[in-house]
Amino acid sequence: MPGDAARTVDPWRFAGGFIAKALGGAIPDEAAYETIPWTPLAKPLSECKVALLSTAGLSMRGDEPFDMEYERQNPTRGDSSWRRLRSDATSASIEANHLHIDTSYIERDLNVALPLDRLRELETAGGIGSVAESHYSIMGFQGNDSSGLVEQSAPAIAEAMKSEEVDLALLAPV
Amino acid sequence: MLEAVGIATVTLNMIWVYHRLIGMPRVAAIEHPFGRPYGDVDDVDTQREVLRAALALAETAAEAGTVEHLPFVWHEDPKQTSWHPAEPSPIIALMKKRRG
Repeated sequence: MPGDAARTVDPWRFAGGFIAKALGGAIPDEAAYETIPWTPLAKPLSECKVALLSTAGLSMRGDEPFDMEYERQNPTRGDSSWRRLRSDATSASIEANHLHIDTSYIERDLNVALPLDRLRELETAGGIGSVAESHYSIMGFQGNDSSGLVEQSAPAIAEAMKSEEVDLALLAPV
Repeated sequence: MLEAVGIATVTLNMIWVYHRLIGMPRVAAIEHPFGRPYGDVDDVDTQREVLRAALALAETAAEAGTVEHLPFVWHEDPKQTSWHPAEPSPIIALMKKRRG
C-alpha cells in the first residue's frame, strides 16, 4: 500500500541482524564505483518494449532448472547461468530454485517477483508500448565469484534483449 | 551491460545501498521482504502500482545513479513477515558454524 512519499527505504527492515551485518559489511559509505553506464530512454514509456529480469532462479518447467546442488556442495558459489522465460509464464509453468528465500510465494503467484500479468495489463492500458517476447532470470546468490555472471550470462542476456529490440529492462533482485 | 548495448534499465531493489558498491543507473528502492519485491501473493493493486512506479523512473531519472525511494509500506510487521527458506542457505549455515 502507498505510504509517506518522503520516507527513506530501510534496506534492512526485513533482513534481521545477522544478515544485515553479513551483507551490510560489504557496502561502503561512499560510492566505490568510477562510472555508471547510462542509456537515456529512447522513446516515451508508452512506446517502449519492456522486458523483466528476476534473480529468483526461475526456469520454465521442462528447461534445466538452476543447480542448487552445486551451491550446497560449494556454499561460497552459486549457479551463474541464465534462463529465458516466455511472456505467458505463470506460477504453474515455472519453477523457482533459490536457497536464500522462501520460494513458495512465487510458486503461488509469479507476479510477486516477475509481474508478467501486471505488465500485460499495463500494455493493454497503454502504459507501455509492448511486452517483450522473452523475459529472464538468473539466480542471485553468486557468493565470492561473480565472473560467470558478469562475463557470460550478462552479455548473453543483453544480446538476447537486443535481438528482440527491447527498449527498457526492469531488473528485480529478490 | 544492458545499458552498454543501448537498453535502459531500472532496478527495483530492497537493498538499494548496493548502488554505492556497483553503481546502478536508476534504482527504485522498495521496502518489501525478500522474495516479493512487487508485492504479496494476489495483491494485484500493489503489484501494479510498484510496477508502474518503477517503470516511471525510466522517464523521470535525469542522470546515472538516481535513487528514488518508493512510498510503499508492507502490510505486515517484519516480525510477522516470513521470507526465510525452510533451511538456512548453505553460506548462512557455514557462517553460523564458523561463528560457533
